[in-house]
Amino acid sequence: MIELQATKRQIAVPRTNVMLKRTLETIMWYIILCAVAVLTVFPFVWVFFTSFKGPNDPIYSVPPQLIPHDFTLANYLRVWNQLPVGNFFLNSIIVSVSTVILNLLFTSLAAYPFAKMKFAGRDVIFYLLLATFIVPPQLTYIPSFVLAVRVFHYYDTIFALIFPSLATVFNIFLLRQAFKGVPDDLIDAARVDGAGELRIWWAILLPIIRPSLATVAIITFVNQWNDFLWPSLMLHTREHMTLTVGLVALQGMFASDSRGIAAGVVMTVIPILILFVILQRQFVRGLSGAVKG
Amino acid sequence: MTRRLALTPYLFLAPSLLVIITFVVFPIIAVVYYSFTDYNIVNPPVWVGLENYARLFKDEVFWQALTHSFIYLLVTPTLIILGIVLAIVVNRKLPGINMFRALYYIPVISGSIAVSIAWRLLLDTNGLLNSLLLSIGVVKEGVQWLAEPSLTLGIAMLLTTWMGLGYYMMIFLAGLQNIPEELYDAALIDGCNAFQKHLNVTIPGLRPQITFVAVISSLAAIEVFTEVFILTGGIGGILNSGVTMVFYLWKQAFKLQHYGMASAIAMVLLVITLIFSIFNIRFLERGTEAT
Repeated sequence: MIELQATKRQIAVPRTNVMLKRTLETIMWYIILCAVAVLTVFPFVWVFFTSFKGPNDPIYSVPPQLIPHDFTLANYLRVWNQLPVGNFFLNSIIVSVSTVILNLLFTSLAAYPFAKMKFAGRDVIFYLLLATFIVPPQLTYIPSFVLAVRVFHYYDTIFALIFPSLATVFNIFLLRQAFKGVPDDLIDAARVDGAGELRIWWAILLPIIRPSLATVAIITFVNQWNDFLWPSLMLHTREHMTLTVGLVALQGMFASDSRGIAAGVVMTVIPILILFVILQRQFVRGLSGAVKG
Repeated sequence: MTRRLALTPYLFLAPSLLVIITFVVFPIIAVVYYSFTDYNIVNPPVWVGLENYARLFKDEVFWQALTHSFIYLLVTPTLIILGIVLAIVVNRKLPGINMFRALYYIPVISGSIAVSIAWRLLLDTNGLLNSLLLSIGVVKEGVQWLAEPSLTLGIAMLLTTWMGLGYYMMIFLAGLQNIPEELYDAALIDGCNAFQKHLNVTIPGLRPQITFVAVISSLAAIEVFTEVFILTGGIGGILNSGVTMVFYLWKQAFKLQHYGMASAIAMVLLVITLIFSIFNIRFLERGTEAT
């Protein structure tokens, strides 16, 4: 009996050691994870709290004060009253949503023949398109500016933001990959049944590649929502500005009013954060789907 | 019937091609032409031959911008290393790990304007960073982070890295999850320690992702604008300390209305991106063949 107890204890001691080691390791990983999270999120947390600080709460103090004691919404009201923030929102939504819908229609229509049809010049056209992908977009802004002013006369309107984004090489490329995954038999069967190509595209293929469409839609939406340089070149009247351009205008107007600028930043970031929380899975899949060996 | 079928693919391509030809292909050709002209948009372009290029190569600010853009490329190896390390950290089954991944992704989706403005508030002489540093006694008086020429570029690069890290982490994470577990077991049997395990299994396994990130992040580095624009308040920093290629292009074109000159800068930019993309793809793909 005594012997048995002794061996039990001998076994028991290393077992708790292993458990302890594992727990310590887990704690260590959480400490690392939290430290990185502080680095990535804390600037926003600070801006968030600053946006609610009243005139009696210092922005700058030693040591720093994070939580507002003199809580107020006045910063938001001040920004809202001095700038057409409602217009900024509306413009950003109109631009982003219409770009997504039209771009998806255009690029999925183009991606279908690239993936599933044989025609003269297919590969040449496709690789020429791919080659334009590495051209810095800013390079095209000079002639695009001339086009906007001289040819299309949409300078200072949101059409200037929508038109050039109606088709993007990257989206054609991603959707082509998606169409390639659809079995040929399915398309052939539909053709035998007498369905036209347009009908096959709309009624058979698009529903099948819906997950890819969702991914491309999110990437396109976020890019358009956050775009700044081209919109800043095109939009000059306050009422026509999108959120990013408006936020920079706000930053100029409220130069020494950190609380007001912070409120502007929060208003800009919140909608996209909400979208991210709702569609988190699609966001992540969209990224990993873009690179496959 | 056959005629209709033959036309169909081209009709399907037409809308997209029209847009891309108008807003990408035509502009590329036009920029080549403008770069040989004196052009201010109001008057028609006047042919000046190589004058823009001659002036550009004698322009001190241009060389500064070019140097800065090359220095900026340091964000690429930084993002690859930090991205892989962070992906390894979040690639384990712990409760709440998805929340952490999402938190790391927040800077990516928030948009460069909001992020840059938020950081400008933090780095202000009367901002959070100074009050933190003063309270722990690292500095005796507030540092003028944004007005110090030697710091401008470094801060912008830090910002680019901070904003992009979550994105590249996700790409590497997806790559890690495709690496078969047996390879790690084999490495363990061969007596690899944790570090050697990653060196011998993870890095070769992530080649496609490394190529992708190298191409994408170096293009982004060469094309950087927003961070520099916001951090320097639209002036490019004291003594042009934050002027990059795209910032200088923007300044010449849309501030000074020197569209010919700006087009010449655009041409240099195009050549650089071409060389880099070819280099990146060739160099890194050769690595794939070797393994």
